Amino acid sequence: MTARPVRSITVPPRLRVLEGRRPRRRPIAPWMVFTLVVVVAFVGLALARTALDRGAFELAELEARIAQAETENTQLRLEIARLENPARIAPLAEELGFVYPTQRRPLLVSGVVVDMRDADPRWIEIDRLAAAP
Amino acid sequence: MAARRAARAAPSVRSRLLVVGMALVLAWAGLGYRLVQVQVVRAAEYAERGLAQRLTRKTVAPTRGKIFDRNGDPLAMTVEARSIYAIPDQVEDPLLTAQEVAIRTGGDTADLLAALESGRNFVYLARQVELDVAQEVEALDLAGVYSHPEAKRVYPAGTVAAQVVGVADIDGNGIEGLEYAYDSALRGTPGELVLEQDPAGRVIPLAPRSIEPAIPGEDLVTSLDLPLQYTAQSTCADTLERTGAEQCWIVVLDAETGEVLAMAGAPTYDPELRRASDGGSFSNFAVRDMYEPGSTQKLITVSAALDTGVADLDTIIPDVADTYEVTPGACRSNEDDIYGCFRDFSPHETRSMTVREVFTISSNVGTIKIQERIPRDTLVEYMRRFGQGSPTGIDYPGEAPGAIGIDPGCSSCWASAAIGYSVAVTPLQMAAAYAAIANDGVWIQPHLVTGRIDVDGEVSTVTPETRRVVSERTAWVMRELLASVVAAGTGKAASVPGYRVGGKTGTADKYGPEGYTNQTIASFVGMAPIDDPKIVVAVVVDSPAPEFSTGGRAAAPAFSVVMEAALHRLGVTPDGITG
Repeated sequence: MTARPVRSITVPPRLRVLEGRRPRRRPIAPWMVFTLVVVVAFVGLALARTALDRGAFELAELEARIAQAETENTQLRLEIARLENPARIAPLAEELGFVYPTQRRPLLVSGVVVDMRDADPRWIEIDRLAAAP
Repeated sequence: MAARRAARAAPSVRSRLLVVGMALVLAWAGLGYRLVQVQVVRAAEYAERGLAQRLTRKTVAPTRGKIFDRNGDPLAMTVEARSIYAIPDQVEDPLLTAQEVAIRTGGDTADLLAALESGRNFVYLARQVELDVAQEVEALDLAGVYSHPEAKRVYPAGTVAAQVVGVADIDGNGIEGLEYAYDSALRGTPGELVLEQDPAGRVIPLAPRSIEPAIPGEDLVTSLDLPLQYTAQSTCADTLERTGAEQCWIVVLDAETGEVLAMAGAPTYDPELRRASDGGSFSNFAVRDMYEPGSTQKLITVSAALDTGVADLDTIIPDVADTYEVTPGACRSNEDDIYGCFRDFSPHETRSMTVREVFTISSNVGTIKIQERIPRDTLVEYMRRFGQGSPTGIDYPGEAPGAIGIDPGCSSCWASAAIGYSVAVTPLQMAAAYAAIANDGVWIQPHLVTGRIDVDGEVSTVTPETRRVVSERTAWVMRELLASVVAAGTGKAASVPGYRVGGKTGTADKYGPEGYTNQTIASFVGMAPIDDPKIVVAVVVDSPAPEFSTGGRAAAPAFSVVMEAALHRLGVTPDGITG
């Protein structure tokens, strides 16, 4: 007896309908938000940079104005010093008729206390010595 | 057949692909190697080279310090100016350019044209011109003509105190006077500005930059009083006009502090127009010029006698003639080079005199007799104590030391020195010597700068050297003697209304290249108020006309004017005012 392969009994698969998941659309909101953030950040950075640049130019301009004002200030100080120079004022005063007094007499104003620390009592001795023959 | 050919070709394609692949690998490897080289191995070097192309380093010049008088009025300051320059290769019409610039800057057209045609790459057309002048030139838009800012040193007081303040050159280096003496303090420390520029040379905003700021020079506060300085200077000029003298020098000292309140000379110069000056008036001869003081020296001789106790005010000097022969035969000789014959200024009978009288009438013979009582070394010692023979150490460059020219073998030199010959001094030395008497016998080093102000506003002050030269009592007695000279002696013209003044006249024959001449050096040194002196004034007049040849005629009137102004400026109470 010869062995024969047993014919396999194939059972047709039973078909069933599976409830498939509906393909979901990829969410775009986060991307939009992300993109928006990036764009806003970029624009913000650009604006900030522009503002900073503008500020830098304004600062440079202000510094230049300060330097100019300082220069003018120095020039004015120089002019004041030149105008106050006694070598300029004295001849002008003379032209206007101002003169040094030729005779002067010191006056004692009553009630005004004069510091007499300058008077040295030791001079009494010196005067006596000087008066000696 | 085709298949066989394809089979033969297959290895060829593969090998080509292999070659290309290898080439690509090599290329990428090369690029990678280079990338590593550039980005890793030599990254710092390339970064530095790149930065160096953009970075510009500029030296920031420090502002030179100001010089003030004691009231805060500026005597020297630095302002911004502009210098106009040209790149001759870019100048289209040199003649027109030279004319246009010359008209506006006051330059010489021929000089400017020569500069433009000199073949140089860069020439200055005008340096340190006013800003509005530079703007006028810039407005012309001349091809090849540009300007840049440059600091300019200016002297608002003009001729007043010019010889003391000195000058700085066009590059801001002090070359004379206080400008030179304090150059290192005044000039400051340069800074550095590092910034990035684009290829057109414009500064890139917000680019990294570093600033090492320049440290401005220190400001100097001097002891000079500008109005008093002007009075001294104008008085000197008047004295030249009045006496026909060649030069006049006035030194005003604060007796208690050694501060120089005024130091004036005539003729003088304007530091901003100094090129127009002949240069002869630049130097401050009050510090640098030496002269034989004549009778003003008697203060030291008599002080030495009083201080050593060999004489007092009432000591009688017997037999004072009007002629005294120290070297036998000197008075009978006609030889100019035989010294040793001394005469009083005016003839008088031989008689006894007190020390007071000798000093008051300024008797040469009497003073020599007083000197003969003092040991010789002692006299020289006192001369040195009073500051003769060595510089005072004032903060001014080129001070002359003076000289004590006493040869040990010279028989007449001691007598000469006693009356102000064989001794050379500067006007400042004599003022300081008299200030020692004014200051109760204590010599104070004269000085011009009383304080230095640094960038932080810190003020450093000066402490002058002091030393006692005679006792307090000797100083009192000498002041009394000086007062008698003005009250009843040769110095009456030095009196000041309202104040008791003391001083001494000096008249010395002027020594020239061929010996003594007929000209004189007339001087007066004194102090006031004599009870407690605040101010010392020394006036020296060089070669006045014969009718003004004495100190009493040439110098004493100038002393009176300056002393009065000084007393008023310092608010010194007149004598006789009591509470």
